[in-house]
Amino acid sequence: MLLPDHSYVTTDSLKECLRLLGENGDRAMVVAGGTDVIFNMRLKLFNPEVAVSIRKLEELQHVEELDDGGLRIGAGARLTDLEEHATINDRYPAFAESIRAVASTHIRNMATLGGNICLHTRCSYTNNSEEWRKGLKNCYKTDGNICHVIRSSSKCLAINNADTPLALIVLGAVLTLQNADGSREVPVAEFYTDDGMDHTVRQPDELLTYVTIPPVTDRTTFLKLAPRKGMDFSTVAVAARCDGAGTDVSTVSIVLGSISTNPIILDKPARIVSQKGLGDEAIAEALNHVRNELGNLTNLFSRASYKKQMAVVLVRRALIALRES
Amino acid sequence: MAKHMMTLTVNGDTYDLVVSDNQTLLDVIRDTVRLRGTKRGCTTGACGVCCINNAKGEAVLSCITHALDWDGESITTIEGLEANGELDAIQKAFIEFGAVQCGFCTPGVIMSAKAIVNKYPQPTEEQINAGLAGVLCRCTGHVKVKEAIRQDYRIREAGREAAKNATSN
Amino acid sequence: MPPATELSVIGRRQPRLDGPEKCSGRSVFADDVDLPGMLCGKILRSSHAHARILSIDTSKAEALQGVKAVITAEHTQGMMSSRRGGEPVFASDLVTYKGREIAAVAALDELTAEKALQPIEVEYEELPPVLIMRHALQDGAPLVQPDKPGNIWSDDIDTYGEPDAAFEEADLIFEEKFSTSVTHNLFAEFHVAVVDFSLPNKLTLWTPTQTALLMQHALGPAFGLSISQVRIIHLNTGGAFSGRGGVRPHHYIAALLSRRTQRPVKVFAAGDEEFLICRALGENDYRFRAAVDKDGTLKAFDMDADMDGGAFPSEVGYFGWMAGLCNSWVFPLRGNRLRRRVVMTNTRPHFLPHGGMMLTTNAAIMQLCSKIAKSLGRDPIDFLRQNTIDAGHKGLSGEVFASCGLKECLDTVRRESGWDEKYGKLAPYHGIGVGIGAMAAGAKGAFTHDTSAALVKIGEDGIVTVFTGIPDMGQGTHTTMAMIAAEVLGIRADQVHLVAGDTDLTPIDIGAFAQRGTVQTGNAVKNAALDARAQLAKNAAAQLETSEDSLVFRNGRIFAADNPEKFLDFDKVVYGTLHSGEGRFTMGRGFYNSPLKIKTTSWSFGAQVAEVKIDRETGEVTVIRVTVAHDIGRAINPLACEGQIDGQVFSAMSQLLYEEVLSDEGLYLNPSRLEYKQPRTYEMPEISHHLIETIDPYGPFGAKEIGEGIVVTTGGAIASAVSDALGGIYMHKVPMSPWRILRAVHAKERMEAA
Repeated sequence: MLLPDHSYVTTDSLKECLRLLGENGDRAMVVAGGTDVIFNMRLKLFNPEVAVSIRKLEELQHVEELDDGGLRIGAGARLTDLEEHATINDRYPAFAESIRAVASTHIRNMATLGGNICLHTRCSYTNNSEEWRKGLKNCYKTDGNICHVIRSSSKCLAINNADTPLALIVLGAVLTLQNADGSREVPVAEFYTDDGMDHTVRQPDELLTYVTIPPVTDRTTFLKLAPRKGMDFSTVAVAARCDGAGTDVSTVSIVLGSISTNPIILDKPARIVSQKGLGDEAIAEALNHVRNELGNLTNLFSRASYKKQMAVVLVRRALIALRES
Repeated sequence: MAKHMMTLTVNGDTYDLVVSDNQTLLDVIRDTVRLRGTKRGCTTGACGVCCINNAKGEAVLSCITHALDWDGESITTIEGLEANGELDAIQKAFIEFGAVQCGFCTPGVIMSAKAIVNKYPQPTEEQINAGLAGVLCRCTGHVKVKEAIRQDYRIREAGREAAKNATSN
Repeated sequence: MPPATELSVIGRRQPRLDGPEKCSGRSVFADDVDLPGMLCGKILRSSHAHARILSIDTSKAEALQGVKAVITAEHTQGMMSSRRGGEPVFASDLVTYKGREIAAVAALDELTAEKALQPIEVEYEELPPVLIMRHALQDGAPLVQPDKPGNIWSDDIDTYGEPDAAFEEADLIFEEKFSTSVTHNLFAEFHVAVVDFSLPNKLTLWTPTQTALLMQHALGPAFGLSISQVRIIHLNTGGAFSGRGGVRPHHYIAALLSRRTQRPVKVFAAGDEEFLICRALGENDYRFRAAVDKDGTLKAFDMDADMDGGAFPSEVGYFGWMAGLCNSWVFPLRGNRLRRRVVMTNTRPHFLPHGGMMLTTNAAIMQLCSKIAKSLGRDPIDFLRQNTIDAGHKGLSGEVFASCGLKECLDTVRRESGWDEKYGKLAPYHGIGVGIGAMAAGAKGAFTHDTSAALVKIGEDGIVTVFTGIPDMGQGTHTTMAMIAAEVLGIRADQVHLVAGDTDLTPIDIGAFAQRGTVQTGNAVKNAALDARAQLAKNAAAQLETSEDSLVFRNGRIFAADNPEKFLDFDKVVYGTLHSGEGRFTMGRGFYNSPLKIKTTSWSFGAQVAEVKIDRETGEVTVIRVTVAHDIGRAINPLACEGQIDGQVFSAMSQLLYEEVLSDEGLYLNPSRLEYKQPRTYEMPEISHHLIETIDPYGPFGAKEIGEGIVVTTGGAIASAVSDALGGIYMHKVPMSPWRILRAVHAKERMEAA
C-alpha cells in the first residue's frame, strides 16, 4: 500500500505556508506529525494533490506563558513534549492526562496538538484500503450519497476520536485559525460540526496555529475507556470541570468524546449537578439525563448500547473524581 | 510526481538520496539506503515493526511519515545500535533474557526498548508499559521483553565498568 | 535415560543461538529478499461474496508501461491451490467469497503494480450470498458450490468406546452450547512469497512457513515438477501460530507470474489483504454433553459441532475431530462421540487459529467441568484430579500415554496459585478457575511416515554443523536441536552451527506443526549426532584403550566412565580422525519416524489456574495471574520454555477476551492491527512457570512438547475463571468481550435480585 501520487512541499515560513494553502485550497492537506494524514493517505482515503508539511514551522512548536496565567501553545507542538511540560502538568492536569491518553508513545513522539484537535473522523466502512473499499458503494466520505453505518442517515456518522479537545473544551480554550488574509479565534467548543465528513469549521485555506488556554483554577478531570491501555482510540472519553470544593459546586461542565461525530457537551446533567452539588443523589439524577443527550449512536467500533452504558459510567466516575479531588 | 534530493544521516552515515514525494521514511530506509533490519508490516502505524529512533533517541514509526520531512535529520535504525563490534546493552539483554523468538518484530521492539532506556535508564513498570504498548510482540506476549528492559541498566553499567577498567589497565 | 545431573547442556537456560543476528537486523526474512530483475506482483480480488464471472478484460492493464504480465484463470490450466479441497488458484467461473483471487499482475515496481489493478475489467453477475452458517443450512439457501447440496461440505461422526451406553447409564447428564468467532493468527510477518521460476526446471520460493515439505508436495505436482525441483527457502519465519501450515493461492500466483515473465516476482500482502488470505477460525457452534456419575466420575462426552468452513473448508472437519478427541486424552472415558458437520458459506475459507479448535473447545469443556463440580458440591481441582488419566493409560482410539504428569500438574498449580485460600472465597467479580489439557506431539497422517532426518558434519576445528529441515518460527527449535547435538557430542551448544531453512541443503522434515519438532526432529538430530559420535568413539576408544560403550563425551572431553582423568579433547579427536591413515571426515546421519501407527507417541499435559477480576460497570476483564504447570517430559531449554508459556498465555487470553473479526455482509470491518484487538503491555498478567518432567520414553532425553499445549489449557483456565467471577454463569461465546461480559453481569444481578 503505497502513498498515492502527490506533491510534497515544506517551508519554514508561516507566511509562505499560508500562501500555499490559499493557493491550493482543497487540493492541499496540511501534514503535521503525519500519524493521521499519512495513515489516511496510505488507505487512499485522502488523495491531496499537495501535502504541505508544517514540520519546519518552528514558531508553532512552543508553549508560551501568558501574563494572565494562561498558556498559548503552538499547534505544531509535539504531544510528547507537551505531555512532559512542567507548566502544563502543573496548571492543567486534566489536559495533560488527555494528551497522555492519545494513542501510544510512538505516535505521540510524532503527532502534534493541532493534529489531534483536527483529527479526522473514523469509520469502519472507510478506514481501510482503497482495494477493500472497492466492494462498497461510495458513502458521504468517499464522494457518495449514503452512509453505510445507518443507511437512512442524511449525513456522515464517522466518529470523532480526538481526546485533547475534550479537556480543552472544559478549559474554555480558544483556537487561532490563520489564512493568508488574516486570522480568527474559534473556541474549541465551537470548532466541531456534527457531520462526520466536514467535521470542523476550519476552511481548506486555514491553518490552526495556536491554542490559547485561559487560566483555570477549577477542579478538572479526564477519563478514558479503551479496549487496550496505551494504544487505542477511546471507546468513550470524558472531561469534566467544576469549581468549589468537595460536593459544593456552582458550575459544572461535562464533555463526552469518541462516541459520536463530535464532542458532546452535556447540558441537563451538568445543570443538575451545578444546582444540586456533587452528592450521590444529585449525581444519580444527573446520570438519568445523559442518554437523552447522546443523539443517535452508531455501532461503529463498539455497540451503540455499550457506548450509551459506558457514557453513563464515565460521567459518574468523572463527577466522583471531581468531588474527591 | 517529482523526485527530490535530500540528505539523511542514518546511524552516523550521511547519505545524499533521491527521493519521491510519496516515499515514506520506511521506504527510503529499506529501498534507497537499503538497510533491511527495519521491517515492513502494517504500514499504518499499528504494529511497530518499522520503529526507529529520531535524533533525540525517541521511538518513531517510519511508515507514517514522509521521507522528505526528515531532510537534514538524523535517525538510528537497529543496525546502528552496535558499536565497535559489540552489541548494545539492550540487545544483549534481549538475548540473555529470552526476549527474542521469531525475530520479526524484534528490530522495532528493540528500538522501542532503547528509546525507553534512553529516557529512563531505570524505568518503572509504567514507563516500560507505556513505551512498549505501541508495538506488538506476538510471540513473547511482551513478558520477557519487559524483563530485558528491566535488566538493561545492570548490563549497561557492567559494560561501562568493563570499558573503564580496560582503558585504565 | 540419564538423570538430569548427568546432562551438561540439556536443561540449561540457553539464549537463542541466532539471537545476535535477530537482535541486530541481520536476520533475513522473505520481504528482505531482493533478486536481480525482481518484479512486484499484486492480486486483484473480488469484492463480491458470490458472483458469476461473465468476462475479464485485462488488455488495458497489460498495455500499461512497466506491466510485464497479467494473468487470470485461463493461464493456469485449472491449477488447484490445495492438495484436497477443490480450490482453483483463480476463480474462473464462480466467485465464492469476498477477496477471492481473480487476476494478478507483475510490474517493474509496486506503484505500477498497484495502478495496474485498476483497469482490469471484470464483469460480474452478482448472486445472492449466504454469509452465516445458520442461513446456509436453511432450506432453499443459495449454494456456495453447486455440487454441495445443503451447503454441507462434510458430515462425519466418529465414535470411540461406548458413548451410548455411558449416557444411558449415567446418573447425570450435563449439556452446554458454545460458539466461536472469526479470527486471524496475527503473526508479525505478513504473508509474502518471492518466487524465482525464471528457468523451467527449478522453482525457488522464499516464504515463511511451518512446513517446506508440504509446500514442495503441493507446488511440484501443480507445476509439473518433481519435488526436488521445488526449493523452499525459509531462513526465518516471523511467527506462525498454526497459520502457516500450507500453501495458499498467493504462493501459486507468485510462481505463475514468475514463470510467465521469466523473472523473480514478489507478492506481498498489504494491510487489510492479510485478513483475507489468512485462514484461521470460523464461527463454530458446539453442543457438548457430558455423562457423569453421582460420585463424580466422568463417563463420556458427546460433541455435536456445526463448523463454518467458509468457501473452501478443506480440513476444518479434521481439526474439529481433533478438538473433540482431546477430552479422551485427559479423562479415562468410557465413550466419546464427535460429530462434525462442516458447512460452507460465502466467506473467507477457514483453517486453524493458534491452538487449533482445541483452545476454544477447552474453554467450553473446562467451564462445563467446573459447572459439574459445583453442582456436585465438589472443588473443581478435586473433581478434575479424580478424573485424570495416569501414565500407561490406553486411550479410546488406540493411544498409549507412556508418560503423564497431569495429577502432579494439578497439585502444583493448586499449591502455587493459592487455590485453597481463594476458591469460593473471593469477592464478587473476582474469580479463579482451573483448566487441564493435553497436546499430541506428532503428525502421522499427513503421510504414512512422520519422518524427520538430520545430518551432522564436524569440521576439523571441532565445530559441529547440524542440517535440519525443520522451520523455526520463533519457538526456538533450532537452538533446541543444537542443544541436543551438543549434549550427545559433549560440547557446548554455541559450538553447534545450524543449517536450516533451505530444502536444497537440508534433509527431509515434515515440518513444525502438530507439535512434532522436539520429538521427531529432536530424535533425528540425536540419531545423527549419535552416528557421528560413534565414528569418533571408535578412534577415541582405540587411543584410550577402552571399549566404545564405556566412553563419556562431556565438557569437550572424551573419557572412559571409570577413568575421567585420562581424557582426550573432543576437537583433537575430530582432527585426529581426519588426519589419519583412514582420513575419515566425521559426518553423522539419522532419521526418526514414530514407531507407532497412530498419530503420535507422546502427549504433553498441563494444568493451569487463572485468576481474574471483572469491572462490573464496564465488563472489562483483568487477568491478574496465571499459574502454569506443564508436563513437558524433559525441559531441554527452560528459558525458551518460559518464553513459550508467556506467549501462549498471551495468545489464549487474546483469543478468549479480545480477538474477533467483525463483518458486515461478508465484508471484514476491522482488518487491521489497530482494530483487531490483541492485548498489549498493560494487560499482561503475572505468569508463573512450573515445568514438570516425567521423562517420556520416546522423545529425545525424555522431552515432549511445549509448542501448543499451553495455549489450549490457558483457554480452559481463563474461561473457568471468568465464569467463576460471574458466580458460575456459563459463557457461551468467545471472545468474552466487555459488552458480552456486561450482559452476563446484568443477568447475574437480575438473578440475584429475584
